[in-house]
Amino acid sequence: MNFELNDDQRALLDAVEQVVQHHLARTPAPARVECLPELDRDLEQGGYFEAMTTEGLGPVAAAAMVIALARLPFCTELGASALLAPRLGLPRVCAVLGEDRHAPARFLAQAACAVAIEADGVFAAALAPGEAREVESLWAYPMGELVAPEALSWRRLDTDPKACLDLRRVALAAEIAGCLSAALASVVQHVSDRRQFGRPLGSLQAVQHRLAHSAVAVEGVRWLALAAAAGSVPAALALGQAQQAVRPVAYDLHQFMGAMGLTLEHPLHRWTYRARRLQSELGAADRQFQLAAGQAWPA
Amino acid sequence: MDFSWTEEQTALRERVRDLLARELPPDWARLSRHGPGSPEQTAFSLNFCPKLAEAGLLVPHWPVEHGGRGAPPWHHFIIGEELWAAGEPRGAQYMNVNFIGQTIMRFGSVPQQRRYLPPMAAGQAIWCQGFSEPSAGSDLAALRTRAERRGQDYVINGSKIWTSYAGLAQTCFLLARTGGAGRQGICIFLVPMDTPGITVRGIPSLIGEGDIHEVFFDDVVVPADALLGEEGQAWPIIGWALSHERVGIARYAFSRRVLDGMVRQLQSQGRFDDPLIRARAGQALAAIEAARLLVYRVIHQRARGLPPTADANVARTAVIAADHQVSDFGMQFLPDSYCGDAFPLHLSHHERAIAAGIAAGAAEVQLNLVAQDFLKLPREARA
Repeated sequence: MNFELNDDQRALLDAVEQVVQHHLARTPAPARVECLPELDRDLEQGGYFEAMTTEGLGPVAAAAMVIALARLPFCTELGASALLAPRLGLPRVCAVLGEDRHAPARFLAQAACAVAIEADGVFAAALAPGEAREVESLWAYPMGELVAPEALSWRRLDTDPKACLDLRRVALAAEIAGCLSAALASVVQHVSDRRQFGRPLGSLQAVQHRLAHSAVAVEGVRWLALAAAAGSVPAALALGQAQQAVRPVAYDLHQFMGAMGLTLEHPLHRWTYRARRLQSELGAADRQFQLAAGQAWPA
Repeated sequence: MDFSWTEEQTALRERVRDLLARELPPDWARLSRHGPGSPEQTAFSLNFCPKLAEAGLLVPHWPVEHGGRGAPPWHHFIIGEELWAAGEPRGAQYMNVNFIGQTIMRFGSVPQQRRYLPPMAAGQAIWCQGFSEPSAGSDLAALRTRAERRGQDYVINGSKIWTSYAGLAQTCFLLARTGGAGRQGICIFLVPMDTPGITVRGIPSLIGEGDIHEVFFDDVVVPADALLGEEGQAWPIIGWALSHERVGIARYAFSRRVLDGMVRQLQSQGRFDDPLIRARAGQALAAIEAARLLVYRVIHQRARGLPPTADANVARTAVIAADHQVSDFGMQFLPDSYCGDAFPLHLSHHERAIAAGIAAGAAEVQLNLVAQDFLKLPREARA
């Protein structure tokens, strides 16, 4: 057991932290979604998404990087770029479809390729301009849909769909961990500064205990995601715990941010409306738990 | 990062399992229902712990000069997981190896170490922890039991309550007040329980026999060298001891054992294909795994020699949640057998889940500490 990153992983995460701090200094616009081309450029040019396939870094470093970058209130494709595309040799941005190829997916309108992980195989299709279009959504991600999925030329990838699904689960769990931890930190800051009844809101035990519960949930989600990346905990278990945490944590964080957290001026929604989208991917928490139970206790 | 066990650690776990298979009697599960502090389990532990000691499995994490093998804290934890999950055949002696021994080792005088550590390392020492009082439970610093210096002695007067294992304990790790109000006035005494003036009364409880007592101290005279550390220095020592106590018991390992057992029952009844049952089983397992990792993070820090942090409070809170999830699972899908006597370990889990957030410090105190020391939220204005 070793809960520390190795020297290479630490160096990568230190560099990621510099990217995070650089972009955190920018004030988010009051909009539901804000993508930063500069952020994408920094990550791509810096070679960060090669971590997964780099000796000495690997999936743990890739997952830790997703957790760190998901803390930004700006939107960029992280999960597939960090964990799935490098393994499959697919270009960035790679949009991952759900079970239905017609259904909206994150980043599809911006994607260079689409990948469908299905029971009988993993299929990828390159996307030309006009083959996917943006769709309106509640979520703090750019959502898109394929114009005519059956008209694309899909090729079967030589890979195990189950292993790909597990990588996707790790990526989703890590992104939820990052979103929730950034959201929690922003609310901790708020209730520490905001004074009511002559004292900081965060000194009230009613607030402290619920934020403490959120902290315990987020810490559990974070370590499960990292342990799943290392292959020491089933990915379905890590994702189930992450997806289950979203509802109580996101509601409590909005509760304590009060009306300020209902505005687009405060970035809280950027994290919670990403987490809430991720909460329902791959069938949501109970599907993960059912799968994990089948793995833990085979007939 | 590496979340796997080394070959040596895996071999250690196997050795503990082998020893349990050899040494636990066929009716062990029923015997363990009495509880770690019961006369039955105490008598068993005084026979079992010396065997553990002989096999190097009682205090391997202690330094060699105190009867250990200088092994990393992971050894202590692997052993603790296996033994607690088996119904704790060490009885009350788990407290010695979880925190009392280390506290004496770190803060005690050489004569205190010579007197108290060898019996612990030999598996022959039963201790109790004289902390809570009628008016000082979660608010431990409000304790009133007094110790007055008279010449070369201290004279102790007062009472303790909810004291685990006091009925059969040989020695008490006692908190008493020598100075004024608050934390500064508190001292720690190591008090033989056969000292005249000590009266113990058992309180019938929901969580097994021999677990909860009142202890009265009437003009109990102890020599000055019963004091652990200096007068007025007890609070940081208590904090250190509590941080070891909080994640000392591997409750998550017992929860996993019981969950495994309940799933086996459901499989044999042909009910485990039910998607609802599977989802709730996976959910309980996820809570257990989260708790296990959060506890391991604390052990990792301990193994690195880092000072205790609020990560221990985070871990304990997660452990309580896992206990409750497994209890909910039993109540939802196997209420009769989970709460009946056909599966004594399951019944013990059910009975003790109610105490998961009480023993070793109230869950709400853990939440206070997570809020203030982990999240760094402003401290609440005290009334």
